[in-house]
Parts: sequence; C-alpha cells; structure tokens
Amino acid sequence: MAPSPSPIPLAQRLRAGDPRAVARAISLMEEGGSAAAALHAAILPATGRALTIGFTGPPGAGKSTLVDAFVAELRKSGRTVGVVAVDPSSPLSGGAVLGDRIRMGRHTDDPGVFIRSIASRGHLGGLSRSIHHVVDVLDAAGRDAIVIETVGAGQSEVEIVDVAAVRIVVNAPGLGDDVQAIKAGILEIASILVVNKADLPLAPRTVRQLKAMLSLRREGEADVPVLETIASEDRGVAELLAAVDACATLRPEDAAARRRTRIRRLVAEGAAGEMRRRILAWDDAAFLETLARAARGEIDIDTAARAAMEAQAGGVPLPVAVPQKADRRAG
Amino acid sequence: MIHAGTRPLRVLVTKIGLDGHDRGSRIVAAYLRDAGMEVIYTPPWQTIPGVVKLATEEDVDVIGISSLATDHLIVPKMMEALRAAGLGHVGVVVGGIVPEAEQSALAAAGVSRVFGPGAAREEIVECVTALGQKSRAERVDDYSEANP
Amino acid sequence: MNQAAVQLPLPGFEQASGQWRSDYSRQVAGEKPVRNRSGIEVQPLYSPRDWAGERYLDDLGFPGQYPFTRGIYPSMHRGRTWTQRQLIGLGTPQDYNVRVRRIIDAGATAISLLPCCSGFRGIDCDEVDPVLLGTCGTVVNTTDHMDAALDGVPLGTISTAMNDPSPFTLLAFTLGVARRRSIDWRSITGTSNQSDYISHFIANHQFYRLSLPGSRRVLLDHIEFCRRALPNWNPLSVVGQHMQQAGATPAETMGFTLSSAIQYAQDCIERGMDVDDVLRRFTFFFDISISFFEEIAKFRAGRRIWARIARERLGAKDPACWRFKFHGQTSGVDLTQQQPLNNIARVSVQAMAGILSGLQSMHTDAYDEAIACPSEETARIAVATQNILRDEAQLCAVIDPLGGSYYVERLTDQMEAEIEAVIARIDAAGGMYKAAEVGLVQTMIGESALAFQEQLETGERKIVGVNCYQVEEDPTIPPAERPDPAAMERHVERFKAFKRERSQDAVARALDALARAANSERENVFEKVVEAAEAGVTHGEMVGCLRRELGFGHPLIIA
Repeated sequence: MAPSPSPIPLAQRLRAGDPRAVARAISLMEEGGSAAAALHAAILPATGRALTIGFTGPPGAGKSTLVDAFVAELRKSGRTVGVVAVDPSSPLSGGAVLGDRIRMGRHTDDPGVFIRSIASRGHLGGLSRSIHHVVDVLDAAGRDAIVIETVGAGQSEVEIVDVAAVRIVVNAPGLGDDVQAIKAGILEIASILVVNKADLPLAPRTVRQLKAMLSLRREGEADVPVLETIASEDRGVAELLAAVDACATLRPEDAAARRRTRIRRLVAEGAAGEMRRRILAWDDAAFLETLARAARGEIDIDTAARAAMEAQAGGVPLPVAVPQKADRRAG
Repeated sequence: MIHAGTRPLRVLVTKIGLDGHDRGSRIVAAYLRDAGMEVIYTPPWQTIPGVVKLATEEDVDVIGISSLATDHLIVPKMMEALRAAGLGHVGVVVGGIVPEAEQSALAAAGVSRVFGPGAAREEIVECVTALGQKSRAERVDDYSEANP
Repeated sequence: MNQAAVQLPLPGFEQASGQWRSDYSRQVAGEKPVRNRSGIEVQPLYSPRDWAGERYLDDLGFPGQYPFTRGIYPSMHRGRTWTQRQLIGLGTPQDYNVRVRRIIDAGATAISLLPCCSGFRGIDCDEVDPVLLGTCGTVVNTTDHMDAALDGVPLGTISTAMNDPSPFTLLAFTLGVARRRSIDWRSITGTSNQSDYISHFIANHQFYRLSLPGSRRVLLDHIEFCRRALPNWNPLSVVGQHMQQAGATPAETMGFTLSSAIQYAQDCIERGMDVDDVLRRFTFFFDISISFFEEIAKFRAGRRIWARIARERLGAKDPACWRFKFHGQTSGVDLTQQQPLNNIARVSVQAMAGILSGLQSMHTDAYDEAIACPSEETARIAVATQNILRDEAQLCAVIDPLGGSYYVERLTDQMEAEIEAVIARIDAAGGMYKAAEVGLVQTMIGESALAFQEQLETGERKIVGVNCYQVEEDPTIPPAERPDPAAMERHVERFKAFKRERSQDAVARALDALARAANSERENVFEKVVEAAEAGVTHGEMVGCLRRELGFGHPLIIA
C-alpha cells in the first residue's frame, strides 16, 4: 500500500477544486481511518455552502435519466455540480456494478460536473456509511450543487433526510401497484414529488394517488409540490429546478437545524464505530470474564454491553461483580 | 471518527472508439463484481478525454477496455492521455479481438495484458486483482507535507 | 404443438421400444440430460411416438403452401438457389469499388455495402480518429462517395443490400447516384438491411443513433416512401442477428424477432398503410449458429408461426405476405481466434444448417472474421464453402430433406412452443417497443448470455481450441488487413474540400427542410433525407439534424 496522503495539503488541493484531489479524498473517506477523520476535520469549516439535493424512488422510475437532465438544467443556470450516485453492492461478494453512468452520458466532457459512483456496501438499497463525508468533500471543493441519487429499494432512504436539503421522491406510472411502490415513510421525507414518464397513459392516475396520499398529512406541514416530468425529453425539468430553488430558499433555519442534526448523527455514528472497534480488540482479563459470564447466561448481553462501554469510555475498570440478573429483577 | 476498512478495488469497464458490441464487457463486469470489485460501467463510444475524466473522478485502480472491432488502435493514444493526466499508476487491460501483430504495439504503450476471446474467468479476475493491488501500491500521491 | 403420444398400430412396437430403452440404459448409465441452447432437453432417440405425421397438412403442408413449414416456394432451392450475398466493406469508396467489381465479374447478382463504424455512429469521416476509418467498413458520407463506390456497378439490375440504419442515408445516396445515371428508381432492387431499430436499441448499440420515438417515426416514413417510390425495394429487414449475438437463445431470438415484426406491422397499419402492401416487403435476417438441428428447427418453426401471425393476427390476405423470407449469416460468435482455420469447418456446418432450413439468401463468414475484416482470400474461401455445399454435396437436390425426421419434426414443435411463449411474454409486456423500452428484452438476453458463459466455464459446452483441445501455438493467424493510411488521408481531405466548395445555401435549405419535416406530422422525413443527399448534405449532418430534432438515443444497458 502506498502511504496515505497527508490530509492538510490534500484538503488545500481539493478546496482549490482539483478533481484528482477530490476523487482521492472521496476514496479516503470511503476507506475510513484516522487520515479520513483528519481530512474531514480539515474540510468541515469549508462545508455548508452547497445546495444538496437528493433523488430517491423505486427502480424503474427513471431517476438516473432525470438526474442527467436535472444536472444539465443546473449547468444552464451557471452552477457547478457534484453528483453522488449510489448503487447497491452485492450482498454475496461485496462487489457492485455501478451503472449510473450509463444514463448520465451528456456530462462526460464537462469539467463543471463531477460524478462519483458509490457502492452502498451493506446498507441495503440505501446510503453508504460514508456518504456524509463524500458530500462534504464535494461541498468543500466548491461545487454549487450536489445531487445525491440513491436506489430506493430499502429502508435506509430515510437517511437522505440528513444529507440532502431538498429531497425529491421520483415515481413513475405503472411500477407495480403504482404508489404502493413508494414505501411508507418515504412520502414524509419528500420535499418534492415527481411523477416521471408523465407521457404514459397511467400518469394522471399516479398523480391523483400521490395527491390523495399527501392530503392525509398533518396540517401545518410544508406543502409538497407534485410535478410531472418526461426526463428523456427534458420536459418539466426546468420547473423542477425552480421548485428545488424555491424549496431551498424557503426556510434557512431548517438548513441550520438539519446541519446540527447531521453533525450529531455523525458523532453518534463515529462513536458507535469507535466503541465497536475497541471492544472487538479488547482482551482484558476482567472483560473476558464478563464475556464468559454472559455466555453462561449469568448476565444479559445488554448489561454486559453497557458495562463494557462505560469501562471503555470512562477508563473505569470493570467492577469485579456486575449486578446479577436476579438482583436486577429484584431492584 | 470513521471506521477503517479495506476498500474494494475499483475498475472502469468501458469501450472507446466506434464499436458498440458490449456482450463481452458486460460479462467481464459481472465477473469482477462477483469477485468483490466495484465496477464502473459505461456505455460504449467513450472518448479518450472522457475516459480520463471518468478514471479521475471515479479514482479507479484498473481500466478494462473492450475492443471487438478495431478500437484497440487508439488505445496507445489513451495511454498517453492517462499518463499526461497523472494517472500513470492505473493498470490497463484490453479484452477482445486484437490481431497478434497489433498486440505488441499495445504492450509497448503500457497495456498490461490483452485477453483474447475465451479467456477464463479466473484468469481475468486474478490479473485484474494483481494489477489493482499494484496500482494502489505504486500510485504517487503528491499530497504530502513536503509537496503541498 | 405438443402432440399426445400416438397410439401406434405397429405390432411389436411397445416391446421393441422397451427393449431398446433397457439396452440403452445399460450402456449409458447415469447419463445427464442433454440440452440445446434454447434449453430443450434432447432425447437419445426419436421414434413415431414423438412424431407420427397425422397432422401433416396442418403443421407442414407442401412447399409453397400454408403454413410453409417445408419452405415458402414450391420449388425452393431446386428451382432457384439462395442468393449469395457476401457483406463487404473496407477502406475508401475506391477500395470498395475494386472489390465489388471483382465480385460482380465473378458472377454475383447481389451485392452489399457495409459502412464504416463511424457511419453507424452517425458521424462523418472528418470527426473520427483517422486510424479507425475504414477498418470495419467503407467510408461513405456523400452521394459523391456512393458514386465512386458503385462506379461501373449496374444499379437497376443488381440487387443491393445496404447495411443502413435509420435515417437510411446510404439508400438516399444510392438514389442520388441513380438519378445522375438516369436509372429509373422503380427498377432498383435490394434491402435496407439495418432498418430494425428495436434490435439495435436492444443489442447493438453501434447503430443506435436516434431516440426510440424518433427511430420509430423515421422507419415508418422510410417504409411509406419506399412503398410509394421504390416498388422493388425491401424497406424493412427484421433482424434477429444482433440479439442472438448478444446472447439470446435461438428460441428467444426467433420470438423477439417475430414480436418486432408484429410491432412494425401494427405501426404501419396504425399509420394507415395497407397491411398486404407492407407485409409483402418484410424480410428477416438471422444468425445461424452451429447448433445444427436447433437452428433448422428454429427456422422451420419460425416460418410456421409467421404464416399464422401474418394471416390470422395481422389479417394479410395475400399469400406472399405469409412467406417468411430470410437471409442467414453464419454466426461470427461461434468462430474462434484460437486455431482460426477450424472456423472453416464451423462455417460449413452453420451454412449446411442454413441451406437445409431453406433460407433465401446467405452470407458465410470468412474464417478470420473473429480476428479481423476478412481478407480477399479468406472471403473467397467463404464463398467457395457455399459453392461446395450446393454443387458438390448436392444439398439442393431435395426440398426440406430433414422434414419427416422424427427428431426434427419433434424439435420443430418444441421450438415452436418455446418461441410462442416468448411472443406471449412480449405481448404481455405491451409489445416489443415497450418491452425494449423498459429493458425486459435486454434483461432476458443478459441472463441467457451469462448462462451460456457459465456452461462454457464449467465445460458443459465445449469449444474446440477455447475450453478443450487447446494447442500451444496458433501458427495460422492471418495478419489484419488495414486500409492504406495515405489513401484514407486523401479521402478525408477531399471530403473537407467538398464541404467547403459545395453550395452552402442549398445545404442550409435542405437541412432546414429536414428539420421542419421532423417536426411536422404531415411531412415525410425520409423524403427530405433523399433530397438533402442530392443537395450535397453529408451523412453526419443529416443524422446530427435529426438527433437535434427527434432526440438522441440514450442506450439502455442493463448491467
């Protein structure tokens, strides 16, 4: 292995927009480890400027084609764009065929568009663990807009709430049972609903169904526009960008709040990972005894976990005798 | 804090030039995926600057070019462009039909391997894995403290 | 058309059959099932139990009689053998002309023109790295180029097949040449060989130039124009070749191809064209793989199904419309780079399958086709293969010589059932256009391709020199023939000069008219292509204009 690049010069290069530095930084984020953490810390002050837009929805809705057209529209408005296209990894091999490029062909010669394909790596159908960091890299690199496209097949699409200021849920007529293809929960996170392939005969029905579902939402929630597009012909895409811009400028306080939530989640995720790493590598005699007792059923797993975590976190030695199950019940 | 872990090899499977037959490149993409690699798959007819941009942004370790007609004739120009863009560490293999006399020109241009029709899955996976590891080991990142 | 086991009156049949079965099992114990490429299990023996011919008239009939299982004409190859139509194309138009005239001098009555890959991509020669030009076909971008390519070629008496995808500029250039030579367009015969845009969209991205709806529009205009102005031209050839090469099984290929034909016919009918007038000019184009009996059964079943579709489903009344006219090309996919001379044997077997299937025209691959554009010598051997099979092996002496074989008839019935199932699946998806648009067909083909590859990996399927019987040295790989770079450079320079010197006004007007036609339902786009060709507009300019007006086709690739 080549030595990891030093984060500080890399951060400078990527903030200057050097595509090779951006690409390398994204890889580093995907790799993880202390270099990635240091780099992330170095670029974090430069983030928060980009407009982040998430596209999600069931397979076959035409997300990639819509993203391709949408990116063209962003370019027309003079903005530079970063695209993060997430595809699922094979659960068996861990490998992936990342094919979003197939439908994003028109930006291959445009330096104003930086596209990176990411494998979801075990987050079935949802966002990769490192997606936050990847988006931050593109943000720090000065991209005006960052488009995140995810396969909407699993449950973790909801994570897109944390990453994207504007969430576009894409649907198309005739996908199975129409809006049933949109999972419960997804509607709640949508800033904008799109019915793509709006020239198909069943499109009006899909639009009606979506509007009916929206009408069930609680009062006081922000209005969610339902737009129609024909991405393959670039139709409705200018209107979509207008809606995105309107949505983004609507509530600046939302952006600040989401950013705080996001940082909190990142910290929680990081803490969980660090704790996991430490405990897996821990072979202190007292801890091994704790594990043995858990194996014998003398204490439950949760109790052992809490004790281990506290011991690790506080550097406090494990108590010689952790509370017995029976004691706990009695207490 | 981010979890440290090994990152799968990333391979760009693409076609340059004029031909569009993609049965071979699809099968190879599936092989590499099944071997645990991340394959960036593109439509045919990429331009040379397009391949350079793709390889840069996707930070790939290996590029596989499928050539069933005569598109391998411009591969030396692509190698030149990759080196000029600082991607000299990226391993390049060509798969498809390349007459023997023209294989040496590819080797001279820096192509690591030409796979003819009938190349076995293991052979391809092994070669790409080795090339990818070599590419990662040899890449020169000039993002050091000494060379900001 | 699975028939129930026949109650045979033959005395002693059951006993003899049972005896054979037990003797066979003793000799071949623990045998694994044998399957053909379409997945049909093949038995070790067929007998009257599998096919007894009691539905002879319904299922087979006589040659030239519905449902044409035994052949579409009464005399078949005994009356007129198939047309030898070797695809050629290499280098500059002058290079092509030298070769095509040699072929005509040798007695050919049909020629073909394969354009350079840059043409397939819809661009002109001045937009391509010159090292790639003419390496796979001839560089023809203007009427002048076509004039040079066809110099001394008797247009009007010789049949010309153009490998000419939408918007059919090669035909437009040819018509321009005919006008210059005062040749009546109505006498021009031949075929637009690459008009099947759905198959290009699915399997051969090389040809894919315009959006699906745009291609649909241009094809219908093309068919309409040809039916009006070129009565002896076949405007549509429905192509199974690309899909089989991309990995579809023979049964899938036939099913998809017939589904495409249904789609095109219905589109024409919807356009208001007369079904009998249109179907009369439908032709088909297939790969012939080395799976010998399976290919024969594929074509026999295809004939039967098409006759039924044309008559019953599409309502054509003219028997000429029920005839399944097809061109076969021996499959290049079966050929190997390893031990290339072995390919001569492969092509012979493929060609035999084609001939015994009753094809109307054939291209046999040269043995170096897997490696390079064929040289003149290898192309000559390919033609000789056809001549040997026809004149020495006497394959034309008997019509449908395998008809009545228990195996072939049973397999024909089974392939028919498989093909019908594919057609039903496509119907259920809303027809071939829809099924291609959403990627259903591509997914099916991808699965079949991978399955075939796995059979090769496991050794279940064998390819000599590839996964068995390998040899250390391949001493006979012929060097690739490449066009003369100096001549190609001159060709490109002349082309640039032509573009500078032509009437820019006429070009602008013609392109404007083309763009307007593309946006008007009332005008015929192909008619404007023909006019633009005469005005000096180049191939790339016409494709570019239509791409802007009708949309560029993004390939749909199922990874």
